[in-house]
Amino acid sequence: MRRVSPVRSTMLWAAAAFCLVALSACGNNSSNGSSGGGTLTIQGDAGNPTLVENFNPFQGSALHGFNLIYEPLEIPSPIDGSYTPFLATGYKFSDPKTLVYTIRQGVKWSDGKDFTPADVVFTFNLLKKYPALDSKGVWQQISGVSASGNDVTVNFSAPNVPFASSIAQTTIVPQHLWSSMSDPVKDPNTKPVGTGPFMLDQFAPTQYSLKKNTNYWQADKIAPSEVVFPAQASNQSTNQLDVVSGKFDWSYNFLPDVKTTYVSRDPAHNQYWFPAGGTIGLYLNLTKRPYSDVNFRKGISMALDRTTIATKAVNGYLDQASMSGLILPNLKKWLDPSLPNQGLVKQDTAGAQAAFAQAGYTTQGGKLMSNGKQATMSIVMPGNFSDWVAAAKEVVNQLGAVGIAATLDLPQYAQYSSAIQGGTFDAAIGGFGGSGDPYTDFDVALASSFATPVNTPTANNFERFKDPAVDQALATLASSTDQSAQQQATYTLEQAMYNKVPIVLMYYGGSWGLFSTKRFTGWPSASNPYTLPTSYNNSLLTVVTHITKA
Amino acid sequence: MSIVTSVPPPTVPGAAVQIPPARPSSIPGPFQFLGRSLRTLWANGKARIGLVILGLDILVALLAPLIAPHSPSATTFPPYLSPNGTNWFGTTGNGQDVFSQMIYGARISLLVGIIAGAVATFVAVTIGLIAGYRPGIIDEVLSFVTNLALVIPGLPLMFILAAYLKSRSVWTIVLVVAFTSWATGARVIRSQASTLRTREFVTSAQFSGERLFRVVFREILPNMTSLVAGSFFAAATAAVMAEASLEFLGLGDPNTVSWGTILYYAQQQNALLTGQWVMIFAPGLAIALLALSFTLVNFGVDALSNPRLREKS
Amino acid sequence: MNYVVRKGTLFLITLWGAITLNFLLPRLMPGSPVDAALARLASSGVPITNAERQAVEIQLGSPHASLLSQYGDYLSGIVHLNFGSSYSFPSETVAQTIGKAAPWTLGLVGVTTIVAFIIGTLLGVYAGWRRGKTADTTVTLGATFLAAFPPFWLGLLLLYVLAFKLSLFPIKGGYNPGETPNLSPSFLADAVYHSILPALTLAITTLSGWVFGMRNNMINTLGEDYVTFAEANGLRTRTIALLYAARNAILPNVTAFGLSLGAVVGGSVLVEGVFSYPGLGNLLYIAVSNHDFPLMQALFLVITVSMLVAIFVVDLLYVRLDPRVRQA
Repeated sequence: MRRVSPVRSTMLWAAAAFCLVALSACGNNSSNGSSGGGTLTIQGDAGNPTLVENFNPFQGSALHGFNLIYEPLEIPSPIDGSYTPFLATGYKFSDPKTLVYTIRQGVKWSDGKDFTPADVVFTFNLLKKYPALDSKGVWQQISGVSASGNDVTVNFSAPNVPFASSIAQTTIVPQHLWSSMSDPVKDPNTKPVGTGPFMLDQFAPTQYSLKKNTNYWQADKIAPSEVVFPAQASNQSTNQLDVVSGKFDWSYNFLPDVKTTYVSRDPAHNQYWFPAGGTIGLYLNLTKRPYSDVNFRKGISMALDRTTIATKAVNGYLDQASMSGLILPNLKKWLDPSLPNQGLVKQDTAGAQAAFAQAGYTTQGGKLMSNGKQATMSIVMPGNFSDWVAAAKEVVNQLGAVGIAATLDLPQYAQYSSAIQGGTFDAAIGGFGGSGDPYTDFDVALASSFATPVNTPTANNFERFKDPAVDQALATLASSTDQSAQQQATYTLEQAMYNKVPIVLMYYGGSWGLFSTKRFTGWPSASNPYTLPTSYNNSLLTVVTHITKA
Repeated sequence: MSIVTSVPPPTVPGAAVQIPPARPSSIPGPFQFLGRSLRTLWANGKARIGLVILGLDILVALLAPLIAPHSPSATTFPPYLSPNGTNWFGTTGNGQDVFSQMIYGARISLLVGIIAGAVATFVAVTIGLIAGYRPGIIDEVLSFVTNLALVIPGLPLMFILAAYLKSRSVWTIVLVVAFTSWATGARVIRSQASTLRTREFVTSAQFSGERLFRVVFREILPNMTSLVAGSFFAAATAAVMAEASLEFLGLGDPNTVSWGTILYYAQQQNALLTGQWVMIFAPGLAIALLALSFTLVNFGVDALSNPRLREKS
Repeated sequence: MNYVVRKGTLFLITLWGAITLNFLLPRLMPGSPVDAALARLASSGVPITNAERQAVEIQLGSPHASLLSQYGDYLSGIVHLNFGSSYSFPSETVAQTIGKAAPWTLGLVGVTTIVAFIIGTLLGVYAGWRRGKTADTTVTLGATFLAAFPPFWLGLLLLYVLAFKLSLFPIKGGYNPGETPNLSPSFLADAVYHSILPALTLAITTLSGWVFGMRNNMINTLGEDYVTFAEANGLRTRTIALLYAARNAILPNVTAFGLSLGAVVGGSVLVEGVFSYPGLGNLLYIAVSNHDFPLMQALFLVITVSMLVAIFVVDLLYVRLDPRVRQA
């Protein structure tokens, strides 16, 4: 009997194993379960490297899908500030310190219990009891919340009309479940019960899915029967490849040369919208020398060529930003006419050097020196935000031209977040503005109430800016109902930004909305700008209530 | 040791034409040695290919300012271009010319490969010689350290070292790479040194009162040149690959231009997405060819020291 | 028995050396990793209790305690698998993070080594049998060239052609999104399917060790007397090569295994990143880019110790396969 050679038999086994694997794996490539209505696939949160199950709407690390499970009172548009009612049907200021919301009737929680104004009062008192949950700083502004009949009344400690937008966006949670939670600050809330259009269906470390809440108060307006969120990879180029291979109905990702890389792959269905979502700036740590010196900051601002930075960063999709702090031309009506050239700062190397000289830095042999040491700067940003990295590289080049030795620090997002919240950075790339309301934009960036000491985390004002005149202007803007007083206060804030340069604003950051109309239409676009195409905040809810089956 | 004396020619009438005394060659010794080695290497087919590739790389690196059409770091071009008339390999996401980057990149890759290889070889030779020549506790300790360095996975150790060291210059990379690549060479050299230690010419040198230093460097080392050379080329191969890996992970100096950093930016700026496959293909191929050339030359060096491996030409 | 004792002692001593090296590394580095680690942990939201501070200092170095007492604490920390928390994954301990990623790397390394062994051995047999001919030169040159490929580069090329352009394989991940890791056959098959591209990349770049080892073995075996005897008896060369020589030459070369394992583990750090494969290599990449020192320390220890254990196990198995070694 001829024995098969070991070599041959090895080959046969290997071939057999491979076939077995290939067959079973191919058979396993089933698409995610759908039950009529249609599955909406949205590019999900970034895994780190996998998803951690957390649907607690008050924690920063919560999965974005919570925005479809819970609802706030109202959502203002980040583009023009107009309100869309959700759990509240309307609001009014009975006087500048008293805000009254009329609560919607007939709403049920997803477990069948009735939603009442008591839930709203409970939610706000929960934030008071556990300040760690109050990321919007609500209780720094209000003194009390009460309900009577169908109304909820919010009392302010000082008049603050623009703050209504933060109150309105507070997510409402059920009293009958959260009152018995032992530690709402840490609880990951893995069985979320909300009033929103969807409920949690399944959670897996690389994807979670939501199914339709048939009890939803406007269920007939909701087109998808299921929403699936596949997790992103930590590798940004992989995410981009995923996006262009048509996996998602809605994704949020910067793509270079979007017309060629995305639209041309399916011109009938693929569309994009990249509106300005905010301003990208170079945050300077004002607690550190030499950034504490306004002249040094002015020098940096004048040393930069913002148009080139914008080209390098966003490929010509968006422009240089105005140092007034406003997104132009969207917020043009608030622009201070006394600012030269609409606040657009052109590169001025001579001016920069003069400013550096005032800060005690002179150029010697091509290096910017003071006390015999060259000026250095470490710029931190998440390594996978490719447009920020491209901008920063260009900044390094331009600062190098005036003699500053700048370097890049590119950690993962969570570490970047720790660095800016704790104030341990030199310089950081970050976003500014984009809420649609100048008060909110300037308040989160410049209000001294957010400027905690270094190593105490803060959710805003990372550069730790403190200026009583600015705080005063913010208070005026908050409390006045007189148009001209509001304008004057806004001008003061713009001048502070322009003259004191707490943040070197560079270019308008895009909101990278990528859509496919294969299954659903009605996405936000330039012709229908009802919200920004951001898939990581309550725009999710706004969009989902607008889209229809294709 | 023989002493060369010049014997005066015989002055017998009718003798044959006087043979002029042999003049010492004007080419110094080491270069003669190099010339002979190169010729032997060239005779080996594989080593010949390696020498050609290596020679081309060295030439490109030396002549970079003359060959490269543009500056490698100037961001003056439109970004994400495919290969075209001005930018033969296209442009990066920052608008830099990839072809010029490839040319200048040869410098760093060669520099790191050769210098890191040399440092690693120096360490390997020192440790190997000492361990081989001095049996006993020194040998035991050094052998243990060498074995440890052999089993510890080099790449992870390199990444961790690079992460701890804050500075990000080319010299950091050279140091880190050299620190992790000396062990293989050390083991080989130690075993050869300990074999030679017992040979007669060494023993006779010792008995004639030669100092340790001279014995090691004048007697033992010259008999190990091909081993040392082989160790150098192996270390240089590893160094080229390691440098590329460090830079690809972003652990290198982001401000230098090398083949590894081209790949790093290709990944970050997603050259796959924009269809710029040349930007991925070219630097990787260049790295592979450079590493290959070192290995191929090493084949020839092996053949130098072990005639049984010489190819039947 | 003597062989086992000798190898065992060597293993234990080397293990001790690796653990001690891991202890010394952060303490020899410039700057203070401890302060940086504590600061980052604090801002990640991990409460810095005394226990937490102690755990970090045990790993990275305490300014107060003497080196010897630190070493004792360090060893006891290892025994209890207590590596502290990492600031990249603040919601779980380092041990848990590593525990989740380890099976994936084990699987990948296992699949890779098997594939590389099979292909490399076959090629080595072929090259050794045809020594000196064109086939031999092609194989040896080819294997050398493949070994010179940077693994991440090959990974990117395979990703582009096979996964992105031709959609034959998944672009990323260890398994289909939506699945939870379990031991069902369909999940395992899916996991293997996702591991094919990374494994192929690593296998191709680590082939050459097996090729050359096997080729040398073949050449030596073909010079043996019993082969000459078989030839004299009239058996065809091919039969001899495949039936007799290969069977004896195929005994795995332990040194080759050790070297190839090192190359695979090192390469996996790069390749797992390219394919977003959820293994230890990807973790090391994340840890390094975050300067996450506690996680880096623990990963380095785990990787080194696993390699040592693997080599030791193979050493022991080898004795069973090749009794000649026992006399050595």
